[in-house]
Amino acid sequence: MPKTSKGTKKTIATPPTEIKIKINGCWHNFEPERGDITSTMTLSYLLREKLGFTGLKVACDEGGCGACTVIMDGKAILSCMMLAVQANGHEILTIEGLEKNDPIVAAFAEQCEPGYGTALQCGICTPGFVMSTKALLDENPVPTMGEVKEALSGHICRCGCYAGIAQAVTHASEKIAKKGEVS
Amino acid sequence: MKQPYTPRPNSNRKFVGGYRPKIDAWEKARGKVEYVDDITLKTRFPGMLYAKVLRSPHAHARITDIDVSRAEQLPGVVSVMTYKDPEFTSLRPTNAGWTDGVDTVSYDRKMWRDFNDRRVLGDYACWVTDEVGAVVAAESEEIADEAIRLIDVQWEVLPFVLDPIEAMKPGAPLIHPDMTQTNVLPPEKMGGDDVFLNKGDVDADFAEAEVVIDGTSIHHNATQASLDNWCCLVDWTEEKFTLYSNSFEADQTRMHISEMLDLPLHKVTVISSYVGGQFGRGDTGEQPFFLFTAILSKKTGRPVKFRHTRRESFHDSRQPSIYYGKVGAKKDGTITSLYFKSIGNTGAYADHSIFALKFAPLEISEVSFAHIPNVKLESYAVYTNKLPACMMRGVGNSQFNLIFGHIVDLLAEKLDMDPIDLCIKNFGHEWETLPDKSLMEVLRQGAEKIGWRKKRNKPGQGPTYDKTKKRGVGFSLHPAWHAEWQEVRRGHIPISIILNPDGTVILNAPTVETGTGSNTCNVLGCAEALNFLGVTPEKILWNHVVNTDTSLKDCVQTDSSVSYLQSEVIAAAVEELKKEIFDRAEPVLKAKSKDLDIVDGRIFVKKNPDQGLTVKELLFQGDLVPIVVTKSKLANAEKTGVPYFANFAEVEVDTDTGKVDVLHLVVINDCGTVMFASGAEAQQVGGQVMGMGETLTEEIIYDETTGVPLNFNFIDYKIPTIVDMPDIDPILLEIWKGAGEYGACGIGEGTLTCTPRAIMNAIYNAIGVRINDIPIKPEKVLRALGKV
Repeated sequence: MPKTSKGTKKTIATPPTEIKIKINGCWHNFEPERGDITSTMTLSYLLREKLGFTGLKVACDEGGCGACTVIMDGKAILSCMMLAVQANGHEILTIEGLEKNDPIVAAFAEQCEPGYGTALQCGICTPGFVMSTKALLDENPVPTMGEVKEALSGHICRCGCYAGIAQAVTHASEKIAKKGEVS
Repeated sequence: MKQPYTPRPNSNRKFVGGYRPKIDAWEKARGKVEYVDDITLKTRFPGMLYAKVLRSPHAHARITDIDVSRAEQLPGVVSVMTYKDPEFTSLRPTNAGWTDGVDTVSYDRKMWRDFNDRRVLGDYACWVTDEVGAVVAAESEEIADEAIRLIDVQWEVLPFVLDPIEAMKPGAPLIHPDMTQTNVLPPEKMGGDDVFLNKGDVDADFAEAEVVIDGTSIHHNATQASLDNWCCLVDWTEEKFTLYSNSFEADQTRMHISEMLDLPLHKVTVISSYVGGQFGRGDTGEQPFFLFTAILSKKTGRPVKFRHTRRESFHDSRQPSIYYGKVGAKKDGTITSLYFKSIGNTGAYADHSIFALKFAPLEISEVSFAHIPNVKLESYAVYTNKLPACMMRGVGNSQFNLIFGHIVDLLAEKLDMDPIDLCIKNFGHEWETLPDKSLMEVLRQGAEKIGWRKKRNKPGQGPTYDKTKKRGVGFSLHPAWHAEWQEVRRGHIPISIILNPDGTVILNAPTVETGTGSNTCNVLGCAEALNFLGVTPEKILWNHVVNTDTSLKDCVQTDSSVSYLQSEVIAAAVEELKKEIFDRAEPVLKAKSKDLDIVDGRIFVKKNPDQGLTVKELLFQGDLVPIVVTKSKLANAEKTGVPYFANFAEVEVDTDTGKVDVLHLVVINDCGTVMFASGAEAQQVGGQVMGMGETLTEEIIYDETTGVPLNFNFIDYKIPTIVDMPDIDPILLEIWKGAGEYGACGIGEGTLTCTPRAIMNAIYNAIGVRINDIPIKPEKVLRALGKV
């Protein structure tokens, strides 16, 4: 317990002995004392290095590229910029948690409309783009192109597939609308 | 709505050239493909350790003493090794440019064998970030990092130099005094003399020419910035050495390991699978970090993983070059002489510098300046204390294009001629007479798409938009690389095809998948060749893991040529497969092979088509053993020249703020044959991010007083995002045709070669003032306009 310079005990909240994070629908319990989570560990580190959710990538580790994007409580977040303990009590969705035939994944995979190229090449940034797109379309199912670009502006695709990605988001939006009509 | 390309008339292709997703698109979109850094869990490699290396905080320094005792005492540290250990002192000096990846070479045959300027963990640092002195293996990366900080190092700090012109002056600090007493790399056999091409007599022609124009251009340290930080995992046991790497070559890496660590080839396994972007980083695979990770693995007896952080991944760049160009011509626009001189900032280590400065321009001269009687090329590569520099999506081509497109634009203006007409009048290869059909069509289509004739005003004389903004258009052109004849050095290109009894196919066409789409080209080429079996791409499995124990030699992702090279071999292999099928059918159909035919997977007797059976029926009747054909072939050496490509740009320059907005880019590639249209267009569109980035925003910035690079991160090194990119029109053409079944050429690297110059010429067209050093940031525009 840290002490003030006067040697008296400082009143701070007792660190939780257990951290609970709901990941892709399942609650995971971590105990700091057991060493499976530390106060300096980032959420991306916990997910990738401790739990094996390697769909998210850590390319810059400082919030500059978007490759580590996951969804927390419905919002796209950079998991390299959040401490694992901050996710305590929250719900995380990683790319592994999407349904097998997720319409956004499908739209990114299938983009080959002439004139725009594919929506991915090396594929390392793609899960991040997919998760930001999901957060966008969950909130705004039919975004304008300006809204799409703004939502994805924190992501880098070094292969440069932005035109294909923009098409994929449009197609994903159409797929979701169609699905809604059917169900 | 954009339009698909128009295939060559009567090409009748079913799969090759199609618009479709990449074969690995679903797995990639779902985050299922595994990159090396995705090997995270210790369950897979029990006992896995993490390595870190000491990096120089100084631009130029020597270690005089090192004390690692505090690091060794840190709990969790398993091993600390230093440059004094015999494992390192016994290693031969090396370089990071054994080969350009085209061929596999040994230590003695490496491309730049005169420049063995790298030590694997030496005591001498030539740039801030250089790997020197000590390495650590620990239970976690955090502990390894902390251990590095606990190493006490005594540095002898030496004077440094960043600028190549300064570095050339007598008395400048010498970067590699043990090797050479000047910072200028001495001429050697591969690159040739300082003047490495001297055709005709340029000086005499300049004295007599009706028009003479000269200019300069400066290219800077843009970096590859692959998102997949370079890393490796080595497990070196007594029985076997295994390396997992995200280098783009496997066979060459195996040779490198074997030669440097004195291990027989069959004891070295290199495994490479998906790579998150290559773009020429690290030049090739001969990196010291593979070796020190390996030595730590041997020392500790445990698997060791080493990965670069993002900051450390700024370990290579495009080579900055200062080019001077001079052209002599007749008043009618006939170019009679060309002279180019370059000074390249090679940075701390030579690597492939000479390739960028001499090889690439020489090749360009061969295929573009064949009809110009006097051509002289001269170059100097200079060591400095900057990060090493050479390959980046191309090797010297972008730098050369920057001056080439400049000289063209200057001369056209002087002659009051359309630069398009000037290019068509002069440039082409020796195998054809001028004008070059490919070049003409490339420029015609580009001009049409950008609106060249309508939008091009006299420089700075166009209308003003929003009170302060001026618009302009520009272009630049370049010969494509590479066609098959330029790949002969690659040696045999092996592939194998396995035809399963049920008619499905396993294609072993090994190449490390870096995103280029060549895997899809292979599958399409294979399906096309196997059309007689009724095979569709969906029935072909392409092996995505290159494992040097079990794979054939990998075709390295250089020269953008894997997209068609392996398909050419596949086409040849399929002929043998067909023969094997007939051989197996002979006893069943009781007919000779020569009397058999096969259509849509059904074998039949030509004279009696009713007498037949399907391949599946044939194999299921027999022993159910798949038919396997392995074939290797040299590239076709027939000299066919190469086609052309060009980029056109429209820009808007705010004369108040100096900001340049690119409004429209058109990318035109004559491919010979389009192997995979969606992939080719992805290369055309995608390349513009890197091309536009290095023209306008991307730049490595150094503190000139310390030599410390200031922006090795993605916040301050500005890569364009989705909001920055303009509308891009990719245009694919099939005009030229090379040798072989497909006669295609590489396009991927080249799609951005002309982007900087196209944008720069457009800026000049907009504001009437030339800026010839990139990146063109607002302050440079304002300075050029006399506003600051």
